[in-house]
Amino acid sequence: MKPLLSAWVVVALFAFNTTSCLAAATLTQKIDPPEVNVGDQAIVTITVQNGSVDNLNLPQVDGLDVVGTQSATNITFSNGSLSRAMSINFAVAPSRAGTFTIPAFDIHTQEGDVLHVKAMKLHVVDNGASASTNTAPAQTVPAPAPSSSPSANTPFNSNGPVVMPPANANGAGNSSDTTTGNTINVPVESDGRPAKVFMVITPDTTDAYVGQAITLRITWYIRQDVDYQQDSLPTIKGSDFLMNDLSYRPHEDEQAIMNEVYRCESWVTSISAPKSGDFPLLMERDSYWIKSIVNNNNLDPFFGGFFNRRPNLAHESISSNQLTIHVHALPTEGRPVNFTGAIGHLKVTGTAEPTSVDVGDPVTLHFSVSGEGNFNYVRCPTLASDPAWKTYVPTFKIDYLGDESHTQAVKTFDQSVIPLKNGNVPLPTASFSYFDPATKQYVTVPIALPEITVTGTPIPLASTAPGSGTNSTTASTTPTAEFLPNRLEIGSPQLSLTPVYRQPWFWAIQGGLVFLTLLGAIFLFLRSRSTPDNDRAARVSRQRSLQQEEDAMAEAVRRDDAVAFFIAARHAVQLELGTQWNLRPEAITLAEIRDRDPHLAEVLEPFFAQADEVIYSGHASSGLDLAQWEHRVRTELLQPQPA
Amino acid sequence: MNFFLHPLRCLIFSLFLFPFLLHADGSDSDLDAANRAYTSGNYDESAKLFQQIIDTRGFSAPLCFDLANAEVKAGHTGAALLNYERARYLAPTDGDIDHNLQLARKQARLDPNSYRWWQIALLSINWMVWLVIMAACLLLIFLAIIGTSYAPAISSATKIPLRLLKNIFRTILFAGIPLSLLMGYVELSTVGFNDRIQGVIVAPKEATLRLSPFDSSDSIGTIPEGELVTVEDRHNDYLRIEARDHHFGWIAQKDIEPVIAGSFDVKPSD
Repeated sequence: MKPLLSAWVVVALFAFNTTSCLAAATLTQKIDPPEVNVGDQAIVTITVQNGSVDNLNLPQVDGLDVVGTQSATNITFSNGSLSRAMSINFAVAPSRAGTFTIPAFDIHTQEGDVLHVKAMKLHVVDNGASASTNTAPAQTVPAPAPSSSPSANTPFNSNGPVVMPPANANGAGNSSDTTTGNTINVPVESDGRPAKVFMVITPDTTDAYVGQAITLRITWYIRQDVDYQQDSLPTIKGSDFLMNDLSYRPHEDEQAIMNEVYRCESWVTSISAPKSGDFPLLMERDSYWIKSIVNNNNLDPFFGGFFNRRPNLAHESISSNQLTIHVHALPTEGRPVNFTGAIGHLKVTGTAEPTSVDVGDPVTLHFSVSGEGNFNYVRCPTLASDPAWKTYVPTFKIDYLGDESHTQAVKTFDQSVIPLKNGNVPLPTASFSYFDPATKQYVTVPIALPEITVTGTPIPLASTAPGSGTNSTTASTTPTAEFLPNRLEIGSPQLSLTPVYRQPWFWAIQGGLVFLTLLGAIFLFLRSRSTPDNDRAARVSRQRSLQQEEDAMAEAVRRDDAVAFFIAARHAVQLELGTQWNLRPEAITLAEIRDRDPHLAEVLEPFFAQADEVIYSGHASSGLDLAQWEHRVRTELLQPQPA
Repeated sequence: MNFFLHPLRCLIFSLFLFPFLLHADGSDSDLDAANRAYTSGNYDESAKLFQQIIDTRGFSAPLCFDLANAEVKAGHTGAALLNYERARYLAPTDGDIDHNLQLARKQARLDPNSYRWWQIALLSINWMVWLVIMAACLLLIFLAIIGTSYAPAISSATKIPLRLLKNIFRTILFAGIPLSLLMGYVELSTVGFNDRIQGVIVAPKEATLRLSPFDSSDSIGTIPEGELVTVEDRHNDYLRIEARDHHFGWIAQKDIEPVIAGSFDVKPSD
C-alpha cells in the first residue's frame, strides 16, 4: 500500500506544480516620480509576474534619454505555488522641460503572452538652472563626507545576513574578524560559529551626487562545510539605485574568517542614484543550500529509500550589510548649458579629417572622452551653431577599461559636418562639460579643431544653365552642379500611376494559367493511370513480335532461305516504323513512308524492291548475299530514325 | 470594312491621319508654351502649365521631369522632388532623371537615393512584359502537358515522329517549369520592392513628426522638405511613416504627397 501511496503523492505534486507554473503572466508599471526637474531622473519600473522577458527596451522619446537599466528576477515559493517576478528599472533623464509621453507598447514574454504597457507621462519642470553660461565660475557645492568603509556605517541590518535556520540567527551576534587583515563584521550563529552564508557590500564612497557612478564591491561568503547550489545573482533591494549588470562568473577565492575557511565570490560593479537624498543600500540574493541529510530507519524498500534519503534543500533570501548612501543634488548654479549629466574625471580630445574638401562633401569630427566617470551620461561634445556648416547626428563607440564597474572607459564619437561655403572655413567651436566631484565644480573643456580648406563653389538653388545629356550611371553617383534640360516631348501619358499589378486582371490571367496548367497535369496523371496497361501491353507485344521477326531473319539466313528472310525483314521494318508513327504495321507501305519521310523512303526503296521481287518470284537471284542484307536491315533499317 | 483591306486606301487614310498623329506626339502648343515660360525664366508659370498638361492628359516621365525642373528652379523643393520621384517611377532606367533628382536632393541637403543596379534591373522590365513572359511560360507548359497526352494522335496527324514529338514536349516541360518558377519568384520580388507606398514631404522647410496621430500630440522630430518616406499606416488625416533613417512617427497628410497619386486613399494594410 505504501508504494502506491507514494506514487499518488508524486503524481499529485507534479500536477500541482504544473498548474502553478501555468499561471498567466501579468504586468505592473510605474513611473517614479511622475514630475522631475530638468537634469534629474525618473525611474520607470516594469514588473512582469509569471513571465520571462528578453531584451526589453523603452520606446524612443525625443528629449528623454534612457541612461541606465537594471533588471532583477525574484522567485518565490509559497503555499505550494511558484511565482516569478521580473522587474526592469529604466532610469530616464529628460533634456528639457515639458511633458513627455512614453507611448504604449506591447511586451512579448518568452512563454508567448502579450502584455500591454500603457502610455506613461513624465512632467519635467525647468528649475531655471540652465540659464548660466558655461564660463560661470566654479560653485561650491555641498561637500560630500570623506569616503568611508562599510564598517563605518551600520555594520549589518538587524535581520541579516540571514542564515539558515533564521531562528538560529536571531540570537546570534556579530563578530569582527581580522584574520585577513581587513575588518569584516561576520554574523555568528547560536553555536558561536560564523554564519554559513553571508554577503558584504563595499562601495568606494557613501557620499555621491545624483547620477555619479559609485564603484561597489560585492563579496559572497560560503562556509566550506556547507554544500550549496546557487542560481541567482545579488540584486539591490528597492529602486533607489541603479546597478550595472553583474557577471555570471564572479571572481572566486578562499578566505579564512574566525578560523573557518570560506569560499568567496566577488563582483565589482557600479551603482548610481537617480535622485537626491539619503537612501539605504542593501543587497540580497536568493540562496539554496543543503542543510542536512535526513536519516530514517523506517525505510521503504522502494520509494521510501528514495524520498527519505533526499537532501533537505533550504531556501532563503540572504541580505547584505546595510549602508546609507548620501546622494547630493548637482548644483544648479553655474551649470553649463551643454551639461548632460557627466560626472567624473574626464579628458576630451577632438580631431577632424579630411582637412581639405569640396563644398558639400563631409568632414568627420572624431571626439574622444576618456577617464573615470559615469559614461552612460557622456554625450558627444556640442558644436556651436554655425551657418557655414550643416551638422549630422553623431555615432559613438565605447571601450571599457579596468574592472567590471565600467567606470573607466574611452567613449569616441564620430560626427559628420558638411561645409556650405568655400574658403578657409573654421569648424564650429566644440566644447564638453562635466561635473568634477573632487573639485565640486562644473568643468567646460573647449576642444580645438583645425580649420578646413573648402574648395568648389556653393551650389546655387536654381541653375539657369542646363547642361547636355549625360550617362545615367555616372551622373547618379557624381552629380554635377547643373540640371539637365527639359525633354521636348510629352511621351506616353497615362491617366493613372497605379501599377498594373494592382489590377485584379493582372493576377487573374496568371492565376488562370497556373490553374489551367495544374488542371492539365491532373488530367495527364489521371489519363496515364487509366490507360497504362494497354500501351504497355501493345509495346511489349510489338517488341516481342520484332524480336521474333529478327530471330526468323537469322534463321532464314542460316538456312539460306531468301523468301523467309525478306518476309521477316519487311515485317520487322513495318513493326519498327509502325511503333514510331503509331500506325498498324500493315499500314506501313513504301507510299506511306514516302509521304511521311522522303529521305527514309529513298533508303528503304531498294530493300522493298528486293523484298517484293524475292517474295513474289518465290526464289532469289544467284548473287544475293543474305548475310549482307541482314546486316544492313539490322544496322540501318531497324535503328531508331533520326529526328 | 472592306475599305480598310485595300492597301492603297489604307495609305491614303493614314496620310489624312498624319497631322493629327504629329499633333498628339510632339508639337503641342501647351507643351511649347510651358517650355517657353521655362526658357524665359518664368518658372512658376512654366510649372503651372506643365501641371495643367499632366492634369488633362496624364502622367509621363518627360512631363514629370519637365515639371520637376520648373519646380526646382522656382524654389519649390518638395514639389520638385515629388515630380522627379514620379518621373523615376515611370522611367527607372533613365539616367537623366536620376541625375537631376540626386542634384536636387543634394541642394536640399538630403542624402542620395539612387537605385542600385539590381533595382534598376528589376524595375526596367515593364509589367506587361512580365505578364507576357509568365503567360507564355504557363501556356507552353499547358500545351506541353496536353501534347504529351495526345502525342500519338498528334504524331499521326502531323506525321512528326512520335519519339521526336515526345522529346519536344519533355524539353518544354523540363525547361518551362523551372523557368516559370524562377520568373514567378522574380516577378513577386519586384512587386514586393515596388509595392511600398511612398510619399514626398511637401511641407515648406520641414514636416513635424508626431508621436501619435493627433494635433495635440508631442513632436518627436521633423522631416525635411523633399524627403522620400514610406507610409505604413493611416489614421484620419495622419499618416504613419518610416523615414529613411528608420524613425517612425505620424505626419499630417497635408504635408506629404504620394509618389503614386491616389495611393494614400488605400490603407496600406488593406
